[in-house]
Amino acid sequence: MIEANALTIEHGTGKRTVRAVQDVTFRLEDGGSLALIGPSGCGKTTILLALSGLLSPCSGTIQIDGRPVTRPRRQVALILQNAGLLPWKTVWQNANLSLLLSGEYPRHNARQVLEHLGLYAVRSSFPPQLSEGMKRRVGIARALSTAPSVLLMDEPLASLDTLTRERIQDLFLTLWQERRFSMVLVTHDIEEAAFLGQRILVLTERPARIKALVENPDVGSLDYRETEPFGRTVRALREALEQ
Amino acid sequence: MKRVLTYVLSLVILLFLWEMAALLVNGINHTILLPGPFNAFSQMVKNAAELWAAFLTSTWRLILAMLIALAAAVPLGLFIGRNTAFDRLVSPMIYITYPIPQVALILFLFILFGTGSAAKVAMIAPVLFFQILVSARGAAKNIEEEHLTSVLSAGATPRQVYWHVILPASLPEILTSVRVTIGLGITFLYIAETQAGQSSGLGAFINKYMLFRRDRAFAGIAAMAILGLVLYIGVDLIERLLCRWKYVKRPPTGIRLRWKRRSDR
Repeated sequence: MIEANALTIEHGTGKRTVRAVQDVTFRLEDGGSLALIGPSGCGKTTILLALSGLLSPCSGTIQIDGRPVTRPRRQVALILQNAGLLPWKTVWQNANLSLLLSGEYPRHNARQVLEHLGLYAVRSSFPPQLSEGMKRRVGIARALSTAPSVLLMDEPLASLDTLTRERIQDLFLTLWQERRFSMVLVTHDIEEAAFLGQRILVLTERPARIKALVENPDVGSLDYRETEPFGRTVRALREALEQ
Repeated sequence: MKRVLTYVLSLVILLFLWEMAALLVNGINHTILLPGPFNAFSQMVKNAAELWAAFLTSTWRLILAMLIALAAAVPLGLFIGRNTAFDRLVSPMIYITYPIPQVALILFLFILFGTGSAAKVAMIAPVLFFQILVSARGAAKNIEEEHLTSVLSAGATPRQVYWHVILPASLPEILTSVRVTIGLGITFLYIAETQAGQSSGLGAFINKYMLFRRDRAFAGIAAMAILGLVLYIGVDLIERLLCRWKYVKRPPTGIRLRWKRRSDR
């Protein structure tokens, strides 16, 4: 379970201090999905980096499975906006970065993940040789390589064309249902939040505060986009963002 | 194959221009002031043993100076580039010491290291060191934050961040600066090798023959140019080996910009 309690985060020091997040509280049950939506630059990514252990809040607490988050943990995987692939490493090395850093040889799971995502044939290629969609899939493979219990995603599908974006959203949904990890998604795309988030937190302009909570419990099927609850959630999110 | 042919064509044009310049200069002065490439290369063959020994001496001096400069400048430059507080402390020292002409210190270096190879290497290495240091520092400053976040979130230690991100990301820029320093290194090599009384190497060879056997001196100059070319090719090969991702075939974008002539508009 992820618990963020009265989270306040500031960047910089002295006169240059900027408050990015103020008094944000939420909970996410094991295997659940949460989307954070808000205007660009409001502090969504800051919350995600704090959840991953890369940033410390100046006040408030974050706990994952009852333990305070003080540094990156193996069971918490982060997918970055542009996949964060290292151009000088091959697809195989990028996908298994966490394992290679900890000195472990990638096991059967690594090959299985690459095969599942259709990347095994290009395992020796370098990122500049891949299409944008493939790069995002390598980012997903990297996140899944350690079999995480929490998956954090920072606008993972930004700047992709509509069709590729929907395909990868479908892939996220399938993987989430198969592997039962908890998922926190940061996005500014209303439809993406409505398709993947069981609970959706709408954030204010900087500093990010919770403006509204939209429950979206029917998430889980690939044809959810065609249903009435999806349309209702999209309308509710639009209204909340425009307020 | 096309690449090799272009290289050969380029060399042929250069030799042709040299020959033309020699004909022009010697024609105007009615004496052989500037030996042409054929004279120089025939002297190269006739003095092969002496020239080869000088070439080897100069080559190892320059390579040793480059290795010393790289070993000192790369770790320091990368560390300065990523550490703002240390950068503020060290940068003024760099800016003050960087413009000092090494030639001004040559007598001091001879006193310190003697007139052998050590003084020559000690004169060349600092010149290369500053060039590489400034490049490594700049490259480390411009690392994409996303790459750092990526490895940090995967649990990398500070040492792993340097090894897996900062060093490989900076490598192309460092190698470009190494290429730039080859020309500079050869210039300083020449100066260092001509300054001591009993000297060796290509600089001394050129100096020895410049007044009375200019064709031999130009054979030495050609050998110095060949030394530069060999080092350039060496750095290119090292870059192809260490920066393989830069030389891979990328997916076609379908965009091919055409340069329009004024008359086409």
